[in-house]
Amino acid sequence: MKKQFQLVALALTASLSVHAQGIVESEEDSTVMINDTGDFTISESQLGEDDDMTSDIIQVGSSSNLYTSNIGWTWSAARFKFRALDNKYNDVYINGVQANQVENGRFQYSNIGGMNDAAKNKDAANPFEGNSFFMPGLGGATNYDFRASSMSMGSKVTLSGLNRNYTLRGVFSHGTGLSKNGWAFYGTLAYRWSNMETAAVDGTFYNSLSYMLSLQKKWDNGHSLNLATWGNPTERAQQGASTDEAYWLANDRLYNPYWGYQGGKKRASRVVNDFAPTVMLTWDWQINDRMKLTTSAMMRYQLYSSTKLDYSGTNPAPDYWKRFPSYNYDVWGATNGSNNDLDAYNTAKEYWQSGPQARQINFDELYFANQQLNKTQSDAIYWIQARHNDHLTTSLGSNFTWNTDKNGKFNAGIQLSNTNGMHYQTVDDLLGGEYFHNVDRHLVGTYTDTDPRVDYDLNNPNRRLKVGDRYAYDYNLKVQKFNAYASYARNMGISHSYVAARLGGSRMWREGNMRNGLFADNSYGESGVAGFLDGGVKVASTLNLGHGHAISLGAGFEAKSPNARDAFICPEKMNDFVYNLKNEKIASAEVSYSVNNSWLRLNLTGYFSHRYDGTEWSCFYDDNESSFVYVSSQNITKRNYGVELGAKFKVTSNFDITLLGTWSEAKIVGNTDVDYMLSDKGELRRTECFADGMREGGTPLAAASIALNYRVKGWYLGLTGNYYDRIYLSYTPVTRLKTVQDLWANNKYGGAYIDEEGNPVYAVPEQAKGNGGFVLDASIGKQFRLGKHPLSVNLNLCNITNNRSLCTGGYEQSRANYSVSNEDLNIRTYNFLKNPKKYYAQGFNFMLNLNYRF
Amino acid sequence: MEKIKIFAALLAGAMCFGSCMDKDWEAPDFGDNPPYGNNEIVPAPSKKITIAELKAKYADVFSQRSAYKLVDEDLQLFAVVNGNDQGGNLYKQLSIQDETGGIIVGINATDLYALMPVGQKIVINLKGLYVGTYGSMSQIGGEYNGGLGRMDENMWKANVRLVGDKVSVGTSENDPVYIPMTAVADTIDFYSTSNNNELVGRIVRLSGVTITGDGTQILAPDDGSVSLTSNCANRNINGAPVRGMVLRTSTYSDFASRPIPTGKVDIYGVCTHFNGTWQILMRTNSDLVEQ
Repeated sequence: MKKQFQLVALALTASLSVHAQGIVESEEDSTVMINDTGDFTISESQLGEDDDMTSDIIQVGSSSNLYTSNIGWTWSAARFKFRALDNKYNDVYINGVQANQVENGRFQYSNIGGMNDAAKNKDAANPFEGNSFFMPGLGGATNYDFRASSMSMGSKVTLSGLNRNYTLRGVFSHGTGLSKNGWAFYGTLAYRWSNMETAAVDGTFYNSLSYMLSLQKKWDNGHSLNLATWGNPTERAQQGASTDEAYWLANDRLYNPYWGYQGGKKRASRVVNDFAPTVMLTWDWQINDRMKLTTSAMMRYQLYSSTKLDYSGTNPAPDYWKRFPSYNYDVWGATNGSNNDLDAYNTAKEYWQSGPQARQINFDELYFANQQLNKTQSDAIYWIQARHNDHLTTSLGSNFTWNTDKNGKFNAGIQLSNTNGMHYQTVDDLLGGEYFHNVDRHLVGTYTDTDPRVDYDLNNPNRRLKVGDRYAYDYNLKVQKFNAYASYARNMGISHSYVAARLGGSRMWREGNMRNGLFADNSYGESGVAGFLDGGVKVASTLNLGHGHAISLGAGFEAKSPNARDAFICPEKMNDFVYNLKNEKIASAEVSYSVNNSWLRLNLTGYFSHRYDGTEWSCFYDDNESSFVYVSSQNITKRNYGVELGAKFKVTSNFDITLLGTWSEAKIVGNTDVDYMLSDKGELRRTECFADGMREGGTPLAAASIALNYRVKGWYLGLTGNYYDRIYLSYTPVTRLKTVQDLWANNKYGGAYIDEEGNPVYAVPEQAKGNGGFVLDASIGKQFRLGKHPLSVNLNLCNITNNRSLCTGGYEQSRANYSVSNEDLNIRTYNFLKNPKKYYAQGFNFMLNLNYRF
Repeated sequence: MEKIKIFAALLAGAMCFGSCMDKDWEAPDFGDNPPYGNNEIVPAPSKKITIAELKAKYADVFSQRSAYKLVDEDLQLFAVVNGNDQGGNLYKQLSIQDETGGIIVGINATDLYALMPVGQKIVINLKGLYVGTYGSMSQIGGEYNGGLGRMDENMWKANVRLVGDKVSVGTSENDPVYIPMTAVADTIDFYSTSNNNELVGRIVRLSGVTITGDGTQILAPDDGSVSLTSNCANRNINGAPVRGMVLRTSTYSDFASRPIPTGKVDIYGVCTHFNGTWQILMRTNSDLVEQ
C-alpha cells in the first residue's frame, strides 16, 4: 500500500510540474484507423501472464513482414507461438533496456497489460532484421518506446464489453505531445474487470488496474530526459486444465476444477496477485546529426503470488484421478479387466453428473475437517498456500547509433542487470484450522515424524505455522548479467547487408533461507557461483531484384547462458547446481522472398534452427516413489523449421484479401540425458529419456487463414477464417525415462517386450495431441463524428460457428499406468496416457469496443 | 491541463479504492449440521441396536470366518469412533464402539480421521449396509467381489450422521427431546477370551510386553527383509495373555520406520482378530510407549 501511495504522489508531482510549463493542446489526430489492432489484442489476458506456465506466446510484429505483423492477434485464440519457440527466445526492450525476466528469460506481457495505447508504440525486429537497439534473438526482438513525446497527442477513452476473461474494460489516456518549452506528458489508466458471474470460464474473475505515467523534458542542446513509471496491480482467478473425461462428465469444455462452493457461494482456489511497479529513467543525447546515445535505467519490483489448495492427506481436487469413473473400469480395454468394477464406474459417473457441487471443490467439508482436527489438537489437513515469485531487478541499457554516411549505420550497446529473485511459500488461509507444522509430510513414513530429516527448516525446528508464515521453501536466486553488442548495416548497390555480434555473460547463485532437514549442510546460505560467457553473430542480406521483388538471407550462431530457473537440481530444497550445466548453442538461418507492388504484398519465408546442449527443469509428484521428483533434462537438441506465408491482395481500393499460413516442425532430435532426484531420499539418479521426436506443445504447428477486408463510407467489414492443425501437448519425460521403460520391459507384463536377442523392446508412448479445427471470426466497425471528435465503434465476433473442440494446449500427466510395490508391477485400471490434461478454446464470443478521441 | 488533473484524480482514486475481489473468507459455523454425513437421519430410540445386540442378531454370519448379510431392517447404531487412519495404519477403516462392544467399519475413502476424529459420536443407519466377517473379523461394509468389503464413500455419507454429546430425537423442531450419547472411546486391558468377537473393534492395552521381529529392526520395513501381507509387517508381542499375538503395522504408516524398542513397552491399539490371529493395530505413534 505504501508503494501505491508513493506512486500516486509521483503521479501528482508529475502533473504539477507539467502544469508549471503549460501545454500545447494537441491537434485532432485524423489518422485513426478503424481497424486498430491495438484495441484488438483482446487475448492480452492470455499472454504469458502465468509465471508458472509454459504456454507463453511470443508477440513478434515487425511491420516489415506481413506474416509476423499479423499473426500476433489473428492467431492468438489458438495461442499460436511464433516458430513454436518459447517466449524466452524473444527479446523485449523498453526504451532500449532489456525487460525479459532474467530467471526464466521470458517477458511477462502482463507487466504492460491494459496499456494497449502505449504499447502500440514499438519497434519490432524479426530474427534477422537490423534494428537500433540490440541483436535480435532467435524469436526476434521488440523495443517499446514509452517516451512521453512519442505518444499520440490528445485524449482517448476506450470502453469495451466482452465475454472473455474479463467483461468490461475502460481506458483513459492523455498525451500532451511536446510543448514549445520541451515538455511532454503522457498518462494512461485502464481497468479490466469481470466477476464470477460474468467471466467466460466458471469460477474465475479478473480485477486489474493498469497505469503508466511518462514525463519528458527535451533541451535544445540535444539532451532529453524521460521519467516513466508503470504497473498493473492485478488479481485474477485461474482456470485449470482437465481431462476429456471430466469435460464429458461436466458437459462443458471450459469446465474448471479450480473453484468450489463455500456456504453456497463460489470461491476460487487459485488466485494470482501480480504487480510489477517499474520506474525508468531515460537519457537521450543527440550528439550530432549522425550520432545518438540512448541510456535507460530501470528498476522493477515484481510481486507475484499464486495460491493453490494444499493438503497433507489425499488430494481434495474434484478431478483427482481416483474420483473418475474410469478409475474403476478400464474403458480403453488396455488391461485384462480383472479390476473392472462397473457398479463403481456407474456410481462415480452418476455422482459427477449429479450437479456442479459434485465436480467442484467442497470448501465446507475442508473447513469442517480442520475444525474437527482442532478438537483433537491436530495439524490442519487442508489449507491454501501462496507461492511467491518476487523479483527485484535493476538494469541499465545504453545504445549508441552512428549513421556513418548515408548508406551505413553503426550501432553498439551494452545491457547490465542485477536480479534478486525471492521464492517462498506462505500459508494464505488455514481454512478453519489452527495450525500445522513445517514438516514434509511426504517424508513421514520413510522417516518418523520426529526425525529431523522431515523438518523443512532446522533453524526453526518443528515450527507451528499460522497464516502468513513462510513454509516448505524459502530461497533467493541471484543473477547478474551483462551483454554488449555491435552491429553494422550498409546499403551497397542492390543489397542491404547487416552484421551483428554479441558478447555476454552471467553469474548466478542461490541463497537458502531455510535449512532443509534432508540437506542440512547444503541448503542454508549461499551456494557456489556459476558463471557463463556467451555470445553470437548474425549476418543478413537483402537483395533488391527490382520491380518490388526482393530476396533476403540470414544466418546466425549463438551461445546462450542457461536460465537460473533451470540451473539447480532442486532449488526448493538445496544448493546444488545441475550437473554439467552449459550454454545452449543455437544455429539458425532463414531465406525470404518478398513482393511489394500496387496490388500485391507478399512475404514467403523458410527458416531453420538447430539448438543443442539445452537444459530444462521440471518437478512432479511420483506416486510410485511417494515422493516429489525433480527432473533436469540435459543435452537437449531441438530442431525447428518451416515455411511462412503472408500475402495481401488489393482487389480494389477498398477491398483486400490477406492470406497467412505456416507449416512447421519443432521437435527434439535424439534422446536426452536426465538427472532426477527423489525428494524423500535426496538421491540423484542419472538416466536417459526417450524424448526423440517430441514436438513443441501448446501451439499449432500448422495454421492458415484467409481474411477479407472491405471498407466503404467509414464502415469497416472483416471476415477471417482460420484453420489450425498439428497441435501437440507438452510431453512429460517421466513415462519415457529409460529406468521406467526398463522396469516395464523386464516385468511379467512386459514379457512380450524382449526381442529375439533378449534386449528389451521399449514401449515409448506417442506424444499426446489435441484437436485442431476451423474458427470463423468477423468484425464490423464504423467511424462517426461526435461534434468535432471521432468516435469509432467496433464489434468483433469470434468463433461464430461455435467450434468448441479446438484444443489450445495442455500437458501429459506425469504418472505411470502401473504402480510398483516390492519390485512388483501392477497395471492400473486408470490410464494416464489416455488422459492428458487439455485446454479448449472458448466457443462463440464477442467484443464491443468504443473509442472516443477528444 | 484540466485533463491532466482529471487524470491524476482518476489515478489517485483508482489506487485508493481499488479493492480486492477474493475477500477474506469467514470460517463457517456448522452447528448441528456438519457438511459431512446425512443430517436427515433422525436418531430414534425405537430403532437403536447395540453392537452386542447386532452381533447376536446376526450370529449366523458373525460366527463364520467369511460370511455377510444385507441389513434390511430399520436399525440404528449409536457409537463413538475409537480408531481411524490418522497415523496411516488403519486404511479405509474406522473402528467404533459403544457401551457393549466394538466393530470395524470399512469405507472406501481416505483421510477419515479428519472428518471423524477419535471421540466423534455417530449414528449409523444400518439398513442397506452389509454386516459380517472377513477372515473372521466382524465388520460393517459393502459387498465386493462376492464377499464383505468396503462400502462406497457416498453410501457411508448417506448412512451416517455426525452428532454431538446429545442428539435430538423425533421430528418436532419445536419440541425436541434429547438423549445423551453415553459411549466414550475408552481403553480396556486386553484379556484372554474364547469369544473372538468380544474384543474386536475395542481399544486394548498390553502392559509390559516386548516386541520382536526379523529383518530390519523397525516396525514395518519395506526393504524386503521381512515378509509383508497387504503391505503390513507383523511383529511378535511377547508376554501377552494369549500366544501368537502380533503388532501389525503398515509400511505406509507414519511410524513404519520407528525402531523396534528393545525393552518393555505398553501398547495401545485397535484389537482385531484375523483368521485365528490376534492383531493389534497402533493408531498413532503415541500408541507405543516405552517403559
